[in-house]
Amino acid sequence: MQTRSEAGAPARQKRGVVERYVYVPPLKRQQMYHAILFISPALALYLVFMLYPFLNTIYLSFTNWNGATVTKDFVGLSNYVKMVGDGAVLRAFYNNVIWVVIGTISPVVIGLFLALLLWTGARGSLVFRTVYFLPFILPLVVVAIVWQWIFHPLFGPFNKVLDAVGLEQLSRGWLGDPNTALYAVLVSAIPGATGLVVVILFAALQNVDVSQVEAAKIDGANWFQRAWYVVIPQLAPVITLVTSITLIGGFAVFDNVFVMTGGGPGHASEVLGTYTYQVAFQQNQAGYGSTLAVLMTALSLVSAVVFVRLRERQRDD
Amino acid sequence: MTEPQRIAAGTPYGTGRSWLAALGKYLVLLLFATLSLYPLLLIVSTSLKDPLDVTADPFELFSSFSPVNFYDAWTLGGFGTYFWNTVVITAITVISVVALSSLAGYALARLYFPGNNIVFFVFILGLMIPFFSVMIPLFYELKSLSLLGTKAAVILPAIAGATGFGLPLGVFLMRSFYMDLPEELADAARVEGATEFQVFRRIMLPLSAPGVAVLAVLVFFQTWNNFLLPLVYLQGSENQMLASGLYLFAGGRTGEYELAAAASLIMTVPVVILFLIFQKYFIRGLTAGAFK
Repeated sequence: MQTRSEAGAPARQKRGVVERYVYVPPLKRQQMYHAILFISPALALYLVFMLYPFLNTIYLSFTNWNGATVTKDFVGLSNYVKMVGDGAVLRAFYNNVIWVVIGTISPVVIGLFLALLLWTGARGSLVFRTVYFLPFILPLVVVAIVWQWIFHPLFGPFNKVLDAVGLEQLSRGWLGDPNTALYAVLVSAIPGATGLVVVILFAALQNVDVSQVEAAKIDGANWFQRAWYVVIPQLAPVITLVTSITLIGGFAVFDNVFVMTGGGPGHASEVLGTYTYQVAFQQNQAGYGSTLAVLMTALSLVSAVVFVRLRERQRDD
Repeated sequence: MTEPQRIAAGTPYGTGRSWLAALGKYLVLLLFATLSLYPLLLIVSTSLKDPLDVTADPFELFSSFSPVNFYDAWTLGGFGTYFWNTVVITAITVISVVALSSLAGYALARLYFPGNNIVFFVFILGLMIPFFSVMIPLFYELKSLSLLGTKAAVILPAIAGATGFGLPLGVFLMRSFYMDLPEELADAARVEGATEFQVFRRIMLPLSAPGVAVLAVLVFFQTWNNFLLPLVYLQGSENQMLASGLYLFAGGRTGEYELAAAASLIMTVPVVILFLIFQKYFIRGLTAGAFK
């Protein structure tokens, strides 16, 4: 009897694992039925359309399935061996790293600078923040199409600007030149990411201790010294966060590259996303494509784990 | 957006010592504002161009005026159909994600359920799975279910979390929201004889309205703008969405910039209008994680 009444106490709710086998009082039992009823639809959809295909990707990565045959031949690690020696994969990985580094650093630096300028009491701050944020909410397909126009070899406004300032020898088909294609695509992604950084950092700046900034100013620190030594250290956790958002997404980038260059010319602007798509749906190599997907998953997970570790370290300090 | 903390020129962080510094500041701010707005301006300008003018120079700003492009894109370009497909797919996805994650999030936060931590962990796992990790087998799964090319081929994966803003995010957001609500209200209702569903529907759900709004806004933008899902699962289908339809159109008819621009605007205008209206929820959703 003693166990029964104790099991019914709300304080014991957390230790349900043992109680389940002992005795579940009516109220809890009723709650449990409802919980199952409430969770099931979400869980079912999630299991069928996310978790099951996710596990299936891992399974397919060990087969040479072409998407059409009934049987899927198990080929062990041979897809992984093929991947390591695939020049296009190496190129794509290299491009992804460039994307992650430049595509993370430039929005964070530009965004931080703009957020600081707005924070120091600019008129129309709300208007500026809204304008900066607009590119972030635009559909990426639209952004990619417009930037394709901006870099158009003949009519492109970018080349026209170069002509106007006397740099016409630099004019070229930016997206058709293997040396510049990736960077031209990267440019299209920067305003949106910067807008996100500005908005998040501006919100974080509201919590910065102004009296310290004031003290530094009295001590004769200039604008950059105050920003670097006083403000930025206080923003560190949020800067880590925005960095990680752009970083983790960097390995899964697809839309801008696919629309603007399709990964070309050759594999010059290829990233893992566009190559995986091509292998899976244009060459119908479901098995090898899945191996590439596993690589992308691993890279995203590694960056996520690195980020979590960084945050934990910052919290401990 | 949060209102800025007022710092007058000359006070702690104000640069207001010289008008030169102020001028420099506004020049930088305006320069980046121009860079942010220019692409949008270019679309608006090109979408209003006369086809003859387009052949001369498609990207000179506002050199002619021809609103007929919108009509042509909507009818001849097929973007009217794509628009309604996108509306239906987005609406069903948003409603389903909100409803299902409120239910599941509430149960995980508040109801007695022995496996709740495991179930929550399984959902959270979905936040770390990029779409590429499920894309290929999901294609063949949808194919064998005869769903490929139907609206469900985008809706079901989008709800499940393939866009990154589906049930995993929803369950995570709503669970943490319900955890912050006072338990006493629910207990009071239970004493009055309310069933668990009534407690949820009549008391908890209305209280969670701000959380629901944040979630709905995030899911809307992600679904409306999503490109890869319709590209892969709606290929050659009459259920094509705006993003994939626009890509196919712009890639296929490279000369008709004015129609591609008009179509881009058809896709963009609802996004911009809804953003300006729901800005507050949108920013709150994105910054929520930043300060926890």
